[in-house]
Amino acid sequence: MDASRGHMSFCSTRQDHHQSSHTSQVPERPGAQLNIRSLLEMGFSETQADEMHEGALKSRGKHIPSILTVLLLLGLNPASILKIMQKCPEMYSLKGAEIQQRIDNLRKLGLVEGSLQRVISHYPKVMVLPIKRVNMVSRLLKEKCHVTVQQVTDILRDSPEVLEEDLARLEYKFQYAYFRMGVRQAEMVKAKMFRLTLSMLRCRHCFLERRGLYQTPDKKGQTLILNPLLKDFICVSEETYLTQVAMATAEEFHVFCKLIEREQEEEFSNEEQELDD
Amino acid sequence: SKWAQTRPKFPSTTIALQNFDATYSIQLGNLWPSVRVAMLSEQKYGALINNFSSTASVITSELQAEGCIDFIGSHQHSKDSMPLHKDSAEVDVSKLATQEPTISPDIKCLVFPQGDISRFKPSRQDSSGLLGYYLLDAASVLPVLALDLQLGHAVLDLCAAPGGKTLALLQTHTVSFLLANDSSGSRTARLCKTLQSYMPRENLEENKIQISSFDGCKLGQIEEKRFDRVLVDVPCTTDRHSVMVEDNNMFNRSRTKERQRLPLLQIQLLMAGIHAARPGGDIVYSTCSLSQLQNECVVQQAICQAQEMGISVQVQDLGWLTRCFSNTFYFAPQLSVGELVLPHLCANFGPIYMCKLRRSN
Ligand SMILES: C[S@@+](CC[C@H](N)C(=O)[O-])C[C@H]1O[C@@H](n2cnc3c(N)ncnc32)[C@H](O)[C@@H]1O
Repeated sequence: MDASRGHMSFCSTRQDHHQSSHTSQVPERPGAQLNIRSLLEMGFSETQADEMHEGALKSRGKHIPSILTVLLLLGLNPASILKIMQKCPEMYSLKGAEIQQRIDNLRKLGLVEGSLQRVISHYPKVMVLPIKRVNMVSRLLKEKCHVTVQQVTDILRDSPEVLEEDLARLEYKFQYAYFRMGVRQAEMVKAKMFRLTLSMLRCRHCFLERRGLYQTPDKKGQTLILNPLLKDFICVSEETYLTQVAMATAEEFHVFCKLIEREQEEEFSNEEQELDD
Repeated sequence: SKWAQTRPKFPSTTIALQNFDATYSIQLGNLWPSVRVAMLSEQKYGALINNFSSTASVITSELQAEGCIDFIGSHQHSKDSMPLHKDSAEVDVSKLATQEPTISPDIKCLVFPQGDISRFKPSRQDSSGLLGYYLLDAASVLPVLALDLQLGHAVLDLCAAPGGKTLALLQTHTVSFLLANDSSGSRTARLCKTLQSYMPRENLEENKIQISSFDGCKLGQIEEKRFDRVLVDVPCTTDRHSVMVEDNNMFNRSRTKERQRLPLLQIQLLMAGIHAARPGGDIVYSTCSLSQLQNECVVQQAICQAQEMGISVQVQDLGWLTRCFSNTFYFAPQLSVGELVLPHLCANFGPIYMCKLRRSN
């Protein structure tokens, strides 16, 4: 909490900075020179500064210095900042203040120093998403999936991709794991399940089920066979999944995924038809 | 919620699957999971081209343009493509020496290649109302190929309805006389309809093709020593159907007795087939089950019973057939008698078991 308050005081400095560089950007050539110089001053190497500058020109970003200040203050080094901007050029068109607000919101959702930086580095898109969107997803997780506050934080940390997912699909994915596979929330979080798309989750699960290696627990939570742990077949590579858990060839699995995809589409369109009738 | 479906508590399909888990996991060992997932997923079909239709060659080219392969005609050229089964790549040289039957070039069965999940469109009629192809499990053409039909043969199809294999054997244009029998009246009616949709009327009006509706077990005495070739495609647990379709399911509680009596009925039908074959004639026994009890055991029992009656029958090697078609089908390794096509996701045909016998006296 202290860190974030400390942060707020830096904001004014950032604002000043932003003002000055913004005005200095107006003249054509000398402005560009200046800009590169200010990048160098911020600690970017010459090539990094060039690349950053080029990216800024391409995306016509107007508030680069303020963005960079926020990111630097977050403790990210120039190299990772450049990588972030390159991974997600939409960042260029934001304002420093917007980014700051979004960072503050993520802190409110429990992302602490370290995790916060890691999420932003690995998944810069998180900065582009409106606060409203982020909060909607976190509310859905809490209210519809009955996930604890701590678990929401863990999900955001391990699987920030959920923030972009269609809400109905996200809820459906949860229901699939909960009802169809008989998995509790804690296990889902531990397995980083929310990272997977619904169709991949379904493929991996149904493949095991039809091979006779997975059973939906009954009402008492019992199965006739010992199910593998979710984390052992969800957050592993396809190769590990196939050789250690499913004991199958990649060819079989790929054909299976195509088949189950089609089965699903057809089930879906049948349901639609029934609704129409 | 979405998941609470109104299913009966113990659907027949579930009972079937439990039953298979118990028996086939022992019988097939570590191959079972792979067969299981294939049987529980959409099966592949083959389009048996109807060469009585005027559109046969056009349809063949159309399907080939869509990527289909005639698995029967193409086996000679496919030596360099990947066999599905690793063991089948090792050719037993001693068996190569024995003369291999030639496969009738007239039977064409088109399939989509390994791993391709495309489907066939329903068949269309030509100008005279005949359908261009018949969709069936491509592996069910194998028992017909195993028959090795020659020009002028008299053929008995003991359990013929709805007629997929009957149609396949007629495509060879070798048969001088065919008796297609099925004990079920309603299914015999379906067989008639099948033949009418695929054969020109003049072919059906000659006395070459007869359709009857006897109990096949009794046909052995009536038609003693009459046929060059006999196909005994018996009723069985129809494994794929049993795990997938609730309707008309062999594992329905009310059919337990019927199901348990299947091996006995199968032995009787095979015995009838043996009786109906002339000395030197061939019998092909087939099922669409993986069950040892309904496959190898039935054949071995029938051989013993025949022996006791003074009829000598020998198992004929079908290695040539598995060698020819190991690119299309996944054959079970080493059975005591006969050959078995195992369902596999990359070639989701079968199960089809077949065993060929020759009556020597
Ligand atoms: C596996 S199906 C035959 C499929 C057919 N050969 C085809 O390829 O389309 C088995 C058939 O055996 C028939 N059947 C059952 N009991 C019989 C009996 N005692 N005698 C003759 N046919 C019998 C059933 O009516 C059923 O149509």
